[in-house]
Amino acid sequence: MTQTSVESIAGRGALFRPEPFHVELERFQGPLDLLLHLIRAQDIDIFDIPIARITEQFQIVLSEGFQMLELDRAGEFLEMAATLVRIKAQLLLPRQEHVEWEDDPRAELVRRLLEYEHFQEVAHVLSSAEAARARHFSKGHLEPRPTPALQDMELEVTLAELLDAAARIPEAQPEAVHMAPIRVVTVSEKISLLRRLVRKAKRLAFDKLFKPWGTRPHAVASLLAVLETARQQVIRIEQAQPFDPIWLHATDAGEKEESEEE
Amino acid sequence: MRPEQIVEATLFASQTPLTATELARADGSLDVEVVGRALAALREQYEAQERSFQLYQIGGGHQILTRPEFAPYLERFDSIPRSPTLSVAALETLAIVAYRQPIGRVEIEEVRGVSCSSVLRTLQEWEVIEVVGRGEGLGRPLLYGTTRRFLDHFGLESLDALPEPEELPVTLQTEPIEAPATTIPMLAERQSARIAGTTSW
Repeated sequence: MTQTSVESIAGRGALFRPEPFHVELERFQGPLDLLLHLIRAQDIDIFDIPIARITEQFQIVLSEGFQMLELDRAGEFLEMAATLVRIKAQLLLPRQEHVEWEDDPRAELVRRLLEYEHFQEVAHVLSSAEAARARHFSKGHLEPRPTPALQDMELEVTLAELLDAAARIPEAQPEAVHMAPIRVVTVSEKISLLRRLVRKAKRLAFDKLFKPWGTRPHAVASLLAVLETARQQVIRIEQAQPFDPIWLHATDAGEKEESEEE
Repeated sequence: MRPEQIVEATLFASQTPLTATELARADGSLDVEVVGRALAALREQYEAQERSFQLYQIGGGHQILTRPEFAPYLERFDSIPRSPTLSVAALETLAIVAYRQPIGRVEIEEVRGVSCSSVLRTLQEWEVIEVVGRGEGLGRPLLYGTTRRFLDHFGLESLDALPEPEELPVTLQTEPIEAPATTIPMLAERQSARIAGTTSW
């Protein structure tokens, strides 16, 4: 590796400097890409790769950038390093003066490098075709970009339109509250209850009539029922003296009425 | 109505390339030959009138597209959709699939020397490749091939529009090839001439 051969390279070769030896490993697609770069950067004849030199350079690049690589990518580079070392060892073995190309330990690696280079070239062709195609626009043929969310869009309305839109917003529904319907207590219902009770008991304590139902509608209806039945002379209201218990008695008329009903 | 008008209206309204056979369906008076003449006539008209669009052939179909020199104006509008570009890894993988299809993941990885499963997934998401079958052998591996969208993405008329293998540095079989790099500039010129061509790639 000489100073001049390295400095003469252009493009991506700028990544590669002799001192300090510096190649950004993560910028390569893989070990083949790196090898091709080392070969191109030094104007090496691909059919006569100085394996010892390339192996050494490959290992230096690897040791410098190895920590940056993810595990699977690191494995790919290591595999290539092992291949290079194996080829280097094979070349050290004594050989005949003239070997067929197929018997050269480097042949398989060179085949892979050329194959990979071929597809790199195709990828370049595709890339320029892609760029050329991108300069032609069709009528909405490509997937349109996602429309921005409504809240990100600028508001472009007149006041009248805004008011109109506001008017169309449905009235907020009141929050549903679960309510059990209140049973309506009627006076006539209490009257018939009162009649049944006095017929059975002959005498009924007035306050007993109110006890089972503590609510006001019941008390009111019961009192009205007592007054009504007393007016109809179905019952008779008695109190011995003020503040004594009030008693409700069934009257004769009431009893007679009841028997008639039955 | 004249055939050119019918063909023009159909192409104008279509969002995808249409083949001559598809275009001929627009009217009973049309057949592939008449459509072909109409397309040629339209091409000449657009050329003579210096229209901002032209008829292009993509993936075996015909489509009206704007001419490349108008791209800078259209690119200013966010509302006009444009094509995103693929990564180097994706392009390399796609190149291998395009030439060797149908091909499995393992064979692609042998060529690139790196794992390709995530790249293959990306290419499938882009709908430029698809599973075209299953190979023989262990696990019956999935085989991939390119799609019509691949042709559209790269503006290729057909797979034949890809550079011939002899135009590129050829894979070494038994003998070293003299100076393989010399074919590359020639190819680049040929390709750019093809892309810059007025009516088709």
